[in-house]
Amino acid sequence: MVKLRARCILVGDAAVGKSALSQMFSSDGSHIQKNYSMTAGVELLVKSVNIPETSDSVELYIFDSAGRETFVETCEKMWGQPSVVCVVFEISSLDSFKSCSRWLERVRAHCNGLQLPGVLVGNKSDLASRREVETSVAQEWAQEQGLQYHETSAKEMENCDAPFLSLAQAFYALYQDRRQMIQRLG
Amino acid sequence: MLNTALSSFGAQVVLATSSDENHPPESMIDGNTETFWLSTGMFPQEFIIRFPDNMKISVISVHSFNVKRLRIEKSTQTDAEKFEVIAEKEFEQTEGNLQTNEISLDGSNATHLKFLILSGYDHFVSVHKVGIQA
Repeated sequence: MVKLRARCILVGDAAVGKSALSQMFSSDGSHIQKNYSMTAGVELLVKSVNIPETSDSVELYIFDSAGRETFVETCEKMWGQPSVVCVVFEISSLDSFKSCSRWLERVRAHCNGLQLPGVLVGNKSDLASRREVETSVAQEWAQEQGLQYHETSAKEMENCDAPFLSLAQAFYALYQDRRQMIQRLG
Repeated sequence: MLNTALSSFGAQVVLATSSDENHPPESMIDGNTETFWLSTGMFPQEFIIRFPDNMKISVISVHSFNVKRLRIEKSTQTDAEKFEVIAEKEFEQTEGNLQTNEISLDGSNATHLKFLILSGYDHFVSVHKVGIQA
């Protein structure tokens, strides 16, 4: 049995639903945020994710970072060395999707060249009638960047665990890979 | 004595911030470089080795992989407390073989040694063997 620990940096434009998504995930759906409250700094949420078919788990330290440009610099100081990244946009805003590459670069700049497993999340899937970003377009960009793509609706409690489970699994796979590599060195 | 297992004369690992049951902290003091303790994510990482008596230490050797910055502190108390920094070193990165480093000290006494791994060349780092010379 092993418990891994991963520093998960959660970024994306303001008001795309980062806090709603991470709170929905970390509270198992018991914390529903009805009104928007802007995150000004970084909020830390911790949740353990079990890796299916093993007795192992990954404890995610989710750094929910403000999306508003004014606060970004302060937030970056608290990121430390990221283990995994979660970039969020809303499917009803093309602008928020276009910002994703900038967010990803920002986080990667803190990695000292280390591999950074990540996911791209298209939130607000409940707003399908106002969709501005097609699933296939988001999927393609995610693939280019080596990210897994998930669509969620924090409002409808739809699929909110999937991105975090996928991050935990990617980090776990990296650990197993390194473990085997080191085993061969000894 | 650098090659002797620390555990053979009663040393123990009394704290380690990571634990994978396949790679217990005791792997660092069994004198064998094939067994290792593996960190399980995030920095810093820390482990403390306790000696049965006050030990005079002139050299500490560390076999590791992907450790970048390491700080060593010592305590001369019966309990693991009141640590003072005795060395800090940046290890060079290796590929395909372990990092082997020796850290010379002034032959001071210690009951405990605390190893703080401040950063790594990867998300996960391993320590295979810690040896000391009186």
